[in-house]
Amino acid sequence: MQEFLESIENSGFATYIRETPSVLGYSTVLALHTFGMAFLVGLSGVIALRVLGVIPELPLTPLKKLMPIVIVGFWVNAITGVVLTSLAIVSLSRNWDFYVKLASIVVAIVALTKMRRYAFADPNARDDAPSSPEARRWAKLMLFFWGLAVLGGRLTAYATYIRIQSAAAVVVAVMVLLLLARFLVRYFRARATTMASSSSTLSTRKVEARV
Amino acid sequence: METFLRTWLEWPSVAAFVAKYTWAWPLGETLHFFGIILLIGGIGMFDLRLLGVARQLPVSAVKRLLPWGITGFILCIVTGLMFVTGVRANVPSSPYDVIKSNPWLQMKFVFIALAGLNLLAFYVTGMNRRVDDLGPGANAPVLAKAIAAASLFFWLGVIYFGRLIPEGL
Repeated sequence: MQEFLESIENSGFATYIRETPSVLGYSTVLALHTFGMAFLVGLSGVIALRVLGVIPELPLTPLKKLMPIVIVGFWVNAITGVVLTSLAIVSLSRNWDFYVKLASIVVAIVALTKMRRYAFADPNARDDAPSSPEARRWAKLMLFFWGLAVLGGRLTAYATYIRIQSAAAVVVAVMVLLLLARFLVRYFRARATTMASSSSTLSTRKVEARV
Repeated sequence: METFLRTWLEWPSVAAFVAKYTWAWPLGETLHFFGIILLIGGIGMFDLRLLGVARQLPVSAVKRLLPWGITGFILCIVTGLMFVTGVRANVPSSPYDVIKSNPWLQMKFVFIALAGLNLLAFYVTGMNRRVDDLGPGANAPVLAKAIAAASLFFWLGVIYFGRLIPEGL
């Protein structure tokens, strides 16, 4: 097994991508991997935000049109991910963090597929209808495992004790950011409602004045 | 100007913090990536709608995603500032010398500036108001589409040059 992995890592293709002085080698593959991640996670995240009711104004059915871009993002990442893995497959095969990342991606993809199935199950559903509890459950699971996959990917290069400390720091930072986001969403919602009600009161007064 | 920038960019406390707490740099990297995802999910999604993707979405509804994109941008700026001002923790150079000698970092800054100018053009040309009323199925004006395409190009350029930065260190 070890010899097989070494033969992949030492292949002409892997050596060229890893060692070429051209920026079109390793760094460009890495950049493509980031593009794929941004579209895959970013756009599936948009669907999840709607499913979870965070942005209820977004009509649900048209969001299905984002799926082809999400799928392209996935395949870009699958291909570039295989290339990047082949460059250091010997050390990655002994890296538990790498397996956490791969397992998280598998769970996130399963959750994405299930969320899609449940969210778009009824073609006649009203666009402002809340999503089913099943769709919401899979959306939450998908967001969590996308986060874990990104975290795993970032921490692959670090020593185990740094990984553990960093993961704890990320959890704390994300909790703080989510609480802040929750506060801001509620604040702006309340402000929008107040403004809407005060403008309707104003127009009622204008009508009364005319009468 | 050089003295001003050299002094202004030097933040020994940030470099010392990053050097002392080994979790700070990977935390910054992870949040930077979360920021990129929010940026593409928010601003990139808005650009895609103007370009005609998921045209049945009313633009006013897609605009609700923009605060998420702006949050992502702020996350990237804050963590990016940490990378620049704390760079001494990783390389034996001042932030000013790193910026001056790294063409990819310079290109990243240029593309951020271009994305900013492009956003300014969106407002100056009045396209921001023109697209507000675009309902389900409505096509954006050609200029709005051009600005949206440029926006996607510039932001992907920012990501691309960001990935090349280690090549120039």
